[in-house]
Formats: sequence, structure tokens, C-alpha cells
Amino acid sequence: MELQYSDFDIVGENYLAEETIIDEKPALKKSLQKKPYASLAILLIIILGCVFSGVTMNHQPTYMDLGNINVAPDSTFYFGTDSLGRDIYSMIWYGGRISLFIGILATLISTSIAVVYGSISGLSSELIDDMMMRFTEVALSIPSILIIIFIQAMIGQANPLSISVIIGITSWMNISKIVRSEVRQIRNSEYIWAAKCCGGKFFYILKRHLLPNFISAIMFMVVMNIGSAIATESTLSFLGIGLPIEIVSWGSMLSLAEKALLSNYWWIILIPGAFLIVTLVCITNIGDYVRKINNKEFSNL
Amino acid sequence: MSNNLLEVKHLMVSFTTEEGEVQAVRDVSFSLKRGEILAILGESGCGKTVLCKSILRILPENGSIKSGDIILNENNLLKLSPNSMNKVRGKEISMIFQDPMTLLNPTIPIGKQIMEAVMIHQKISKSAAKKKSIELMELVGIDDAEKRHAQYPHHFSGGMRQRSVIAIALACNPKVLIADEPTTALDVTIQAQILDLIQELQERTGISIIFITHDLGVAAKIAQRIAIMYAGKIVEIGTAQDIFYDPLHPYTWGLMSSLPKMDSDEELLDCISGMPPNLLHLPQGDAFANRNKYALKIDYLAEPPMFKISETHSAATWLLHQDAPKIQPPVRF
Amino acid sequence: MKTEKILEVKNLKQYFKLNRNTIIKAVDDISFDIYQGEIFGLVGESGSGKSTTGRSIINIYQPTGGEIYYRGKLISDPKTYRANKKFINRNMQIIFQDSTSSLNSRMTINEIIEEPLLIQKIYKNKEERRKKVHELLDIVGMDKIYQNHYPFECSGGQRQRVGIARALSLDPEFIIADEPIASLDVSIQAQIVNLFKKLQHKNGLTCLFISHDLAMVRYVCDRVAVMYHGKIVELAETKELYRNPVHPYTKALFSSILVPDPDGAKERTRIKYDLHIDIHSKETSHLTDYTEVSAGHFVYCC
Repeated sequence: MELQYSDFDIVGENYLAEETIIDEKPALKKSLQKKPYASLAILLIIILGCVFSGVTMNHQPTYMDLGNINVAPDSTFYFGTDSLGRDIYSMIWYGGRISLFIGILATLISTSIAVVYGSISGLSSELIDDMMMRFTEVALSIPSILIIIFIQAMIGQANPLSISVIIGITSWMNISKIVRSEVRQIRNSEYIWAAKCCGGKFFYILKRHLLPNFISAIMFMVVMNIGSAIATESTLSFLGIGLPIEIVSWGSMLSLAEKALLSNYWWIILIPGAFLIVTLVCITNIGDYVRKINNKEFSNL
Repeated sequence: MSNNLLEVKHLMVSFTTEEGEVQAVRDVSFSLKRGEILAILGESGCGKTVLCKSILRILPENGSIKSGDIILNENNLLKLSPNSMNKVRGKEISMIFQDPMTLLNPTIPIGKQIMEAVMIHQKISKSAAKKKSIELMELVGIDDAEKRHAQYPHHFSGGMRQRSVIAIALACNPKVLIADEPTTALDVTIQAQILDLIQELQERTGISIIFITHDLGVAAKIAQRIAIMYAGKIVEIGTAQDIFYDPLHPYTWGLMSSLPKMDSDEELLDCISGMPPNLLHLPQGDAFANRNKYALKIDYLAEPPMFKISETHSAATWLLHQDAPKIQPPVRF
Repeated sequence: MKTEKILEVKNLKQYFKLNRNTIIKAVDDISFDIYQGEIFGLVGESGSGKSTTGRSIINIYQPTGGEIYYRGKLISDPKTYRANKKFINRNMQIIFQDSTSSLNSRMTINEIIEEPLLIQKIYKNKEERRKKVHELLDIVGMDKIYQNHYPFECSGGQRQRVGIARALSLDPEFIIADEPIASLDVSIQAQIVNLFKKLQHKNGLTCLFISHDLAMVRYVCDRVAVMYHGKIVELAETKELYRNPVHPYTKALFSSILVPDPDGAKERTRIKYDLHIDIHSKETSHLTDYTEVSAGHFVYCC
């Protein structure tokens, strides 16, 4: 390069105002690439089908057509009818609403209990923390199905709301243990002190600092809880202490399975069962994905 | 035999990352004389640690030496096989780090760790190794060496741990010791003790030391020569007196004036404005131009070459060009 | 410039129980006052209890003993602290050393700085809050474009500025700065230190400046207390202390300061200090408890 005399003028700092390069965050986008698309799509179809069951149904799901009992799948009854003459195809969409409702409500209840309980335990002194955690361990050591049956038996006749509450209040222990250990890790972070020093109260700190930090860690458990709540409801119904047969849900449909197994009416049990399993597999898949991105994304922060 | 023990010539090191290539060391040349302490002074991220890791060839996987030569005793280290390089590490060159616990295994007694270091490169019996390790502990100023030989790292204070690490580094009588900020994590009083120790060891064993630091005071105390690094380049190199009493590069001026002076009553410190450049998107021309009060137009156009001012002193700034205006350095000591 | 006392610390004790037999006396019976508008330095080596003192004052730790008065109000007692909580939160803030752990990595710079405003509900709408955040970024010398960045996208110096901006957002009159420059580079340290001086002069900020960097403390602070093993061993105006250190530990500490002067450095002699030997050293043996050797210059003898 040819040097010119004028090149040696003093121009000082920031002569060429350099444009500041603001980098986008490619890392986040990348981690979203391997989404479980198939599971999401199938789950979405099932959920939409259930929510808009008025459109998807082609028979009245609660109507007992005694002229058509145990009809095998054909063009009028896509999935056949059950031993009470109800159309299984319509029942699946209609009953799915109740099953999903129970799954989601029960999970909401259990997660809120877990978050509050776990945070209190994580933030309090050693002694209280110890006591609270011993209590969850005791609760965990009793099989939850036993507690559910016990409570259910005391209440008597079940309805979707009571079942959700019962499942909810018996399945928070595992999540609360995770919440507690996460809170223990971050509770001495200086940004929590800083928030406290300007007057932040317990629920503010929980919402603003604790929750965003452990939400990804418990998301896996939460998603899985939806699945297991649906499964628990089905189990209860199968055992005959769940929803009565008049209230259609996937679980109560399966409660007819016993009789269906003895005869040759495979569709009564296999088709609702298949729906239940597909939904659970999809939920599990999504939960697994949530766990993976959580581990990848913030593991080194 | 030449006077230079270690020579680094036109070394280029870069890292491949997701966002692109980071040029951590850009065309660095310097030499280390026998029995001297050379301080490499620079801020965090200026490439001083990478430079030393490339001398030992212990760069992380995504880093690679693009070009250049590293010559130790007429051997080009970059041409050695991994096996013979292993023999160089520890025996010819050793390194100590800022955090002594990166080198110490918390489950093994200190004495045993020193013994192991002694036995790696030397074929001697266990009892001889033990004797040697106790000698080493005494050498680095650990009192009661025989008793402390069996103690674990957690029984040692920060300063004592750093002493033990130095003992391990000296176990095979290396010719070069690279010390990467060995005193940064220590308290001032302990820091002064460790610096005294390193100086004393240097005088006693005649070892050559490359001392990495970001602290001008530490460099002034310990080094005979100082190299100042900025954004992957050596911008000024000279004897300690050259650097402190006759600094030439505007970055050096900036560093000196950001220090609080013990005997002045100025209200505000002079400081270098702005931040070091991102090594991913290096600007055209001199990397320091944007923060330089005395930047010339040409600084934004072309990178300055090294101008040699005296036998010992050179600096990379266009201000030393014959056509450049003469500027009084703003700092005086 | 002796003006009104803003903070009074009286016989503060902060002990930590490690297990049944061991009690760590992190802060052991210290007293000092901080006056309005001054930067008060607290220096010492790691483990001397200087950070603990700062945290006890702002009630992160509940003091084991002693009293802390802020503007005449007792704040070390849980009951009176609760009664004055709002007043204290508004007027006393803290800046931490480690800017990585003091900023929530999941919040943007804007969210971090407006957090105190949200908690104290100072501004009603978003627009006003945003304006205040811009103002604060301007005070600490950061560009507005950073408001939507996350802490990990900023350099150490910038993060420290964000921490300072957050502490300033409620316009407090008193800030505890816990090693605010320890993790920064030399050139950035100078920028931050200048910022503190500017805030002191322009905004009349009072500050407790905790540091181990004796050279910077001399530059920033008006008065300095030297801590050693949980005790304040010497307290004086900065100039007086650096000109005429009395306690042997202070002398030892000052002799370890490294000066950027290669020829001078080699001539200096260091003074060693050993607690157990120097307790009864001649110079201080006639002093009992705190002695005022000259006006405002206190020396402690253990």
C-alpha cells in the first residue's frame, strides 16, 4: 500500500464509527430444530378432535342403541359399538375431553402444590426443610394408588372434578423434590439477594427468579404427569371405582373391557386402548424432548 | 549455542467456533533468553494464555496452530511427534496455572503427587524420589516438609497449594517454566511472598520463566523483560525499564494511566474508553485504533508493523513512523 | 466534610455456626460510622470479614450481636427492620463482585434494571419505566442497544455496569459495593472507579466500598478501615492512613502493594506480619482497645 502524508493525521478514537454487530442467538433456534413433529401432530389431532367433538362425532355418544349391541366396525359405526350399544367412534372423541380434562387439571393441581411446597422447603432453614422432605418421603413410600382408592372410597361417587383433585393431591411429591433441590442451588445466588434487598417478597421471587430457573427442569415431569393422570383415571375406572359408566371417558370405556375380553368383541377394548396408548406415547415423547433441550440449553449457565 | 532458549516466530493460532474463526494469536514473535523472566502482560481475552498453551501444544480441540515456529534449543516443537512432545512437557517446559487445584488431585497427599512428578521423567527409586520431593518442598518454602509430605491438598492454604504446584512443576528440572497468572487468586501479602519465591528460585536454579499476568505491578516487580499483548498481537516489547520509563505504544500509555497513582491527587483516573475488540470481527487496520486517543488515519487502514527503536525495545504503532507527528506520552513515572 | 451520620455500626458481631463445636467469628465486634456523601473503604484480605460486614448491614445475614443504625433507625433487629423495610429497601442497595451470578441469566438487561422499579411500584406505566432504564444506562455509560441483550452476551465490565444501574434505579442514598472491580481488567477498573467518583459528586451518593485493592481504595475512598480476622485494626482518613500507618498489619499490607516501577520495586522491603508474634509488639503494646492516635485516626490493639 502506498503511504500518503495525510494518512498520518491524528483523528483520535472512533474515527470510523463502527456499526455495532448485534448477534442474533442462533443457539436457541438450533435446539428447536429437532422437535418431535410427529408426536406433536398426532397429539394435536387428538386434542382438536376431542375439543370439537361436536363436529367429529357422528352419533350421540351417550345414546344406548339397544338394537345395535356389540356391532363390529362397519361404515355406520366406524369403530363398532359397545355392549350398551353406544358408538365407540363418537365416544372416543367425547370421552377424550373428560380424560384430557382430568389429566390437565390433575397436573395443574399437583404442579402448583409441588412448586409452592418445594420452594418453601428449598428456601427455609435446614430443620424445616428436613421435616418437609421427610414428609414427602413418607408420602412417596405409600403406593399412591392405595391412597387414591382410600380417599375415593371415603368420598363415594366419583365425578371428573373429584377424580382430578384426588389424583392431583397424590402426585406432587416427585416434582416437589426436584423443585426443592433446584431452589437450594439457586437460593444463594446474588440476584436473589439483590431482589430481596429492594423489597421483593416470597411470591415475587418465586415467580420472577425461581420459577423460570426450574421450570425447564420440571417440565418433563409435568408433561409426564398429564399422561400418568390419564392412565390413573383409566386404572380407577377399570377397577370399578372411577367414573360411572354413564360418564364417558377413555377410562370408563375400558371398564367394560373385562366383559369384552371374555367374548370376542376386541374393538371395545383395543380401540380406546390404542387411543390411550398413542396419546401417552406422544406425551412421553414431547416430555422427553423438553428434558433434552433443558439439559442442553442451560446446562452450562 | 545462542543466547535464546526459546524462540516463537510468526505464530498464528485460531479457534473454530460455531460463529466463525476466532484469531486468538496473530503473528506473534518473541524470544526467551536463558535465565530471564519475561512477563506477558495483557487483559483477559487478549490471547496470552492461548499463546502459552500453544507452546506446550495443549490447546483445546477446536484450536489449531495455523502457522509459525516454536523453537526450543534448536528443536522445532511444532514438528515433534505427540510422543516426543510428551517428553518435552514437564521435562523441558512446565506450566503452572492460576488455580492450583487444577493441577492437584484432592484425594492424593501432596508429597505423593510431587513424588509422582519426579518419577515420570526420571528413573529413580521410590525412596530417592521421596527424598527429592522433600527437597523440592523445602525449596519452595514449605516448612515442616517431612510432616506435610503426607497431608492432603485441603490441609494447605491457597499460598501453600501454589507453592506445592511450583514444586511439582520443578520436579524434573525443566528449562522453561510458564506461569499463567499464578498469583491472581491470592491475597496481596501472599502474592508478594510467591513472587519473592519465584524470583529466588529463578536466581538459584537459573530457569527461564514466562510469566503471564494482567497486573502491571506484578510485571514490574518480577520481570526483566515485558511483552504487552492486545487483541492477539504483541504491541510492545522491551526491558522492564523500557516499558515503564519510556513506553511507546498508546495502549501501554492507557494501561499506565488507568492505574491509581500513589502520590497524586487527581480527581478522575485517565482510562481507556470502550472495550477490547471482538476477535471474531476484527476491524480493519490497527485493532486498538477505536480506543486510541492518538489514532492516525492510517491506523484505520493498515495494521502497523513492529518498529524497532533500540536493541531491546520495539512497538507496533504508526506513531513511530517517520512521517507521524511526534506525541508526548501522557504518562510519567 | 463531616456532615450527618448516615450509618452507625456499633459492636457488630457476625458468627457462623459450622457445626456443634466450631463457630466462625467472621465479624467480631466492630464499630464505625459512615457520613453523608463520603465513600468509606473497607479493605482486608480474603476471609477478613469485609464482605460479611456489608451483607450484615443490608440484612442478608442477621447479625449475631451489636446494632446497626441507618439514619438513626435501628435496622439490625428483625422487628424494627420489618417496620422500616420499605424505607431501607428504597435507600440502601448493594452491588456484588461476581457479575455473572448477580444477574439472572434468563432476564434481559432491561428486565434486570427495571426489577426494583417494578417491585417498589414506582412508575405506573411501561413507558416511564423504559425512560428511567434508558436514563440509568446513560448514567453508567452503556448504549441503549444493550437493553434487550442477555447478560452472557455482555462483557464483564458491561455486566458490572448493569449491576450498578440496577442498584441506582431506586435513587438510593447509600450503596454497599462489594468488591465491584475485583473481577475486571485494569482499563475497565478505571472506568468503573471513575463512575463511582462521578456518582459521589453529581448525585451525592454515599458508599461503602469493599475491596482488597489498596491502590484503588486510596484513590476512591475518603476514609478507610482496615480489617483483619474479623476486626477493624485501623481506621483513618485515606491520606492520613497511607501517609502514617500505625498498626503493624496495616504496615505489612501496604508494604505488599506492588508499584508499577521496576527499579523502585526491587528496592522496596516488605514487612511481614504474624498475628501471634505481633500482638505484643513494642509499637502498639501501650495501646489498649481503640486508641485515637490523631484526630479521626483509630488503631486497635488486640
